[in-house]
Amino acid sequence: MSVKAFELVPTVERELLMGDKPRIAIECVECCGQHLYVGTNDCFIHHFLLEERTSNKGHPTFSAQKLLQRYLGLKKPVAELKAASALERLVVLCDGVIVVVDMVTLEVVPTGGVKIKGAAAFCVNENPVNDDPFGVEIGVILARKRAVHIYMVYEDRVALVKEVATPEPPCALGLDGCFLCLALSSQYVILNYGTGSSQDLFPYNSEERKPIVKRIGREEFLLAAPGGLGMFASAEGISQRAPVKWSESVIGAAVCFPYVLALDEGFVTVHSMLDQQLKQTLSFRDGLILQDFEGKVVLSSSKEVYVLVPLPLERQIQDLLAGRRVEEALTLTEGARRNIPKDKFQILRKRILQQAGFIQFGQLQFLEAKEHFRKGQLDVRELISLYPLLLPASSSFTRCHPPLHEFADLNHLAQGDQEKVARCKRFLISYLNEVRSTEGTNGFLEDVDTALLKLYAEADHDSLLDLLASDNACLLADSAPWLEKYHKYFALGLLYHYNGQDAAALQLWVKVVNGDLQDPTRSDLFEYVVDFLSFCSNMDLVWKYSDWALQRDQRIGVQIFTKRPVDGELRGQINPENVVTYLQKHCEALLIYLEHLVLDRRIQKEKFHTHLAVLYTDRVLALLSQPSAAEETVSRPRCQLQRLLKESSLYRVQLVLGKMESSGQLLLERAILHGRLEEHEKALNILVHQLKDFPAAEEYCTWASASEDPTYRRRLFHLLLGTYLDPDVPGGGNTVAAVDLLNQHAAMFDPVKVLHLLPEGWSLQLIRPFLSGAVRGSAHAMRTSQVALGLACSENLQLQHDRMRYRGGPVFVSEKKGCHLCHNTFSEPDCVCLPGGVAVHTHCATQRLRNSPTKRWTDNGNSHT
Amino acid sequence: MRKPDVKVVILGDMNVGKTSLLHRYTERRFKDTISTVGGAFFLKQWGPYNISIWDTAGREQFHGLGSMYCRGASAVILTYDVTNWQSLSELEQRFLSLTDTAHPDCIYAIVGNKADLTDACAHLVEMDDGHMSEDIQDTPHHPASTTSTSSVLLHKQVDRMDALALYWRILRYKGLEENASPAAERMCFETSAKTGYNVDFLFETLFEMVLPSILKKRNEGDASTVDLEHSTETKRTKAGCCR
Repeated sequence: MSVKAFELVPTVERELLMGDKPRIAIECVECCGQHLYVGTNDCFIHHFLLEERTSNKGHPTFSAQKLLQRYLGLKKPVAELKAASALERLVVLCDGVIVVVDMVTLEVVPTGGVKIKGAAAFCVNENPVNDDPFGVEIGVILARKRAVHIYMVYEDRVALVKEVATPEPPCALGLDGCFLCLALSSQYVILNYGTGSSQDLFPYNSEERKPIVKRIGREEFLLAAPGGLGMFASAEGISQRAPVKWSESVIGAAVCFPYVLALDEGFVTVHSMLDQQLKQTLSFRDGLILQDFEGKVVLSSSKEVYVLVPLPLERQIQDLLAGRRVEEALTLTEGARRNIPKDKFQILRKRILQQAGFIQFGQLQFLEAKEHFRKGQLDVRELISLYPLLLPASSSFTRCHPPLHEFADLNHLAQGDQEKVARCKRFLISYLNEVRSTEGTNGFLEDVDTALLKLYAEADHDSLLDLLASDNACLLADSAPWLEKYHKYFALGLLYHYNGQDAAALQLWVKVVNGDLQDPTRSDLFEYVVDFLSFCSNMDLVWKYSDWALQRDQRIGVQIFTKRPVDGELRGQINPENVVTYLQKHCEALLIYLEHLVLDRRIQKEKFHTHLAVLYTDRVLALLSQPSAAEETVSRPRCQLQRLLKESSLYRVQLVLGKMESSGQLLLERAILHGRLEEHEKALNILVHQLKDFPAAEEYCTWASASEDPTYRRRLFHLLLGTYLDPDVPGGGNTVAAVDLLNQHAAMFDPVKVLHLLPEGWSLQLIRPFLSGAVRGSAHAMRTSQVALGLACSENLQLQHDRMRYRGGPVFVSEKKGCHLCHNTFSEPDCVCLPGGVAVHTHCATQRLRNSPTKRWTDNGNSHT
Repeated sequence: MRKPDVKVVILGDMNVGKTSLLHRYTERRFKDTISTVGGAFFLKQWGPYNISIWDTAGREQFHGLGSMYCRGASAVILTYDVTNWQSLSELEQRFLSLTDTAHPDCIYAIVGNKADLTDACAHLVEMDDGHMSEDIQDTPHHPASTTSTSSVLLHKQVDRMDALALYWRILRYKGLEENASPAAERMCFETSAKTGYNVDFLFETLFEMVLPSILKKRNEGDASTVDLEHSTETKRTKAGCCR
């Protein structure tokens, strides 16, 4: 399929030109604005006025009005006609002679004595190097001469500028700047008539085939090449575009950007200069002349004149798009950049890119489509609107008119192919995602996010939750029914929460946890709800759902209170006492909560500590009362109890002690409590005599004296020793334990006291380690103190020496001596001597001391006076 | 239209596979092509550079156009068919003179295409470049190896040694010093447009080698053209200074 780039419009009909003379034939044409000149074989020039109209069907039409015709009087055909519109002159070649005629009257104008005879062809330089506004440069080929003549044509004269010699007789020419492009008999060449340099292009047999030299732009020519090619050649002799393929019998060529037109016996072919492809073929028999004049392409047979009117570029591009020829359409669009005003071009380009994107989208070429959507800055909603029900009902979007694509919706596009639908949806997901992250939404964030949410929900996509958990603009009213439809209750809850409707969110989630609604998104939804409540600042909601949570699972439910952030704003803070009161019904939760208060948050309140101690005690007692309770199950709670009793100092000891004494168990704990009351004898009695747990007793001594001074600890150890050696206890003292205690903690005892305490009958050997340690210790202490004494003495001596030295010799003060600080002389004998024997006034020294930053130091040390 | 920085031209007799080579490189596949009419060209974006690659017509009819295509070229790829001795000799007789119009610094590559017909190794598509280049260097240079033929494959009419010899003759024809020009071993390739064997390697190697002339050309261009954008920029910074 091809493009329709040009429309052939009849312009000068047969009757209008020749009337009743059948032998008249057209030889050449020239078109200049609205003026059309036709040269005929009977030496006439005809002048027509063209008027372009547009028919009611939108087709262009031309009407030609004959203004004048004039006979040149040479009886030969008019071979060539070229307008020099600035001079209002026509340059005419007839019978080898070049004459100049007035454009209006067609009268021959004198050329100032210069006659150009024997000319075979000529051309006008449209891009002359000399910028003479009153002259037109032409190049003339003389028949059978190896030269080209350059003339200047003025209003009333013609002047020869240059004669350029050529290696062979030229037969066709083009002129641009100072470059002459010539077809010689065996090749094409480019001559620079300024410098005289020449550049061979390529061989061509001009006798075999008619050469074509057509200037197509600045320093670029189009040439007929062997094999029916149209070759592009720049003035440097380089081809910058690939050749176009014409037929072998091509007779004429014209250029109308971005197309190259060529005429042969039966057709006019249209190639694009952008991609060198054949775009259009028009059937035209007996064509004779094909020429372009300032954007107008004129085609003529020997009897009639036609104009090839280029279709508007936009129309051509639309035709290409309609034929799904996306690449060509885009190339043509880009090629039009310099032919269309910039702002208009930008709009056109955007639209074409968007359309191209939709075509590729329809062909499921998503990568290309995306690129074109992006470049064309597509309103995302155009794409979303293809998918039924995705745009929110509240969206104000209406599709662009005229439509960018032919699809009613996705179903129309996919024709029922579910695989296609799924691929399109996947594409939209990725596209919307990208659009979101690149801020390309142009303020339609609500539409984009809502659409994305719907797609995610439908596709059971993991990112649904990410979308809802991050900043989003999903419309609640539109999304809620959709999420319900796909049983995404958890997600819906998140959306409610995001919109500040926590009550609705919780209600929904509780239903899911209770099994009233089904949504497998989160298996740990209960934990999630508890966590949510622990952060929830709406206290009514917290109280409302905490009962439900605690009934379901006390251990997890209590996290509502224990995980609540402490140092937040005041709103949402809970008074712990209220919680404790509230949790009375749920004892497990209460215990955990108190632990949280006492152990984690370290709240220093007697009430909580006592409460926790009592609860711990109750729990241990309850466990102990069960005969089946295994050792391990009891040991952990007991440890917790002991730790609390040891570490806390706030609980009410008597209360707890009373509780334990009434049970008759928990001796170790009771010992700790006695210790708290400083009843160490009782405690040690329990440990030593009742429990017979000597390591525990020693440990007790260490613990109970941990925060006291060493003498206190010694006292405790002596007490323990006394307890061990208590003779009143049935079964005698614990001699072994006492010996071990002495030997291991020798430092804790005063040896003299111990010796008094020990029974007479003990052998010395028994307590040898203790005694030798004690003796060694005292000896060590004595020596250490002697060393210290010696060091102190020597330091004292050293200081005395220094003092004597600094005191130095006498200080001289006289009336002639100046004070070092104020430089005035002394008037009185009183002075202050600074270190180094420098004498200064007393007031100067005081002044200096006052200003000195080390005043404090000198205050103490100003004994140098 | 983007302006090419440098020109690479592919020359060679008809049916040696010039269009297929280019096609394999630019579109990464092999398809049947019809005889090229006149010539075609492809603009390759290679990093920050635009390289125009001209595919010429091998037919005698279009022979005259060749020197125009070659004018100012920075690299010429002379292509022959390894199964066709004539195609190699045509390079010397017919195509070498076309390159007279090329840039004085032009480099020449000699490429034997259709290697898949004669060499089993050319069937391995997508070999990594390092390996392939080793292969090339390891090939023995002495004429004793000219008997390499494969029983199942077509007879290889042109040996690598012949291509090397042609390269040396080209240097002599151009009056270039052998040690001042790229080594023959680097400039003679055997490729297969059908399997893609060595094709990327060929083009990438050449582009690397023409890089200096691109830079040279760019520098020359800078000197002769007034860069309007640049000058406005300096103005702007001046204004910033005064503020």
